[in-house]
Amino acid sequence: MKNLKLYHIPIAYMLVYVVAILATGVWLFLLSQGLGTTDITQTLTKVVTFPEPKSLHNFIEVATPHLFAMGTLIFVVAHFMLFSTKISQRFSLRISVLLFIVALLNIAAYLLIITGVVVSGWIKLFSMGLFILLFLLLLGMVAFSL
Amino acid sequence: MTGVCVALLFYLGLDVVLHGYLLGTDITEVSTTLYGNVEEFVEPILLDSLLLQVHIDLFMSLFSIMIIASMYIRLFSTKPSTKRLVHTLFTFGLAAPLALLIAYFTSVEFIYSWGVSFLFVHLLAMGMALAIIKKLLFK
Repeated sequence: MKNLKLYHIPIAYMLVYVVAILATGVWLFLLSQGLGTTDITQTLTKVVTFPEPKSLHNFIEVATPHLFAMGTLIFVVAHFMLFSTKISQRFSLRISVLLFIVALLNIAAYLLIITGVVVSGWIKLFSMGLFILLFLLLLGMVAFSL
Repeated sequence: MTGVCVALLFYLGLDVVLHGYLLGTDITEVSTTLYGNVEEFVEPILLDSLLLQVHIDLFMSLFSIMIIASMYIRLFSTKPSTKRLVHTLFTFGLAAPLALLIAYFTSVEFIYSWGVSFLFVHLLAMGMALAIIKKLLFK
């Protein structure tokens, strides 16, 4: 990172907070799919074969705060890469843009299930997995740049 | 910067009130919320609801603490205590929601940990916000 004086402290803590937010988010999603009554393998299988039915109202209730929160969080984490002296700006930009797109897909995935565009819930699992992996990559890049 | 600090002061104050309404204002009430009460036929809080609260708390803490810490570092970077204050603020900010979650699965002792961390981080953040406002208005 360029000369940031003490700013590396909040940035480092931010990485830990974001991991905790991602972990609780995944846990919440799995709970909504029946993790409390079945084990994780059965829950994941259930998401793919028969995702928990949701109304449009439920979808909007979840999607609205996430559109704001995920967008802001990605923006804040990604903007720290502007100060990186170890990773190229071009690569950081590509990862950030990809992360924004995958986040949008992750939020909209359940809409595709609700409207019947896709019957299986694989799209939700795929987009969520990709989102988590990309976000962890971005966090790793920020940590490496500190 | 003063405007953000004033808004955050209001937010921090109201967040304490909100958690008082949601979880309770003393250990007995928080215990009843988390574990229920058989004698009074009170059901314990659902894990989904508690986890959602922890999820939201982590997000809101991150942003509020991050803004306050960044402004504090900008204005008080030469003070030797700044580094320690920022570390304390972030550590307790993370400890509070996690202690609440651990308390749900373990015992009432962690409710005390949550109460102490939660109030301490709010008071510390409010103190730092006031110090920022003071520095900005009375340079």
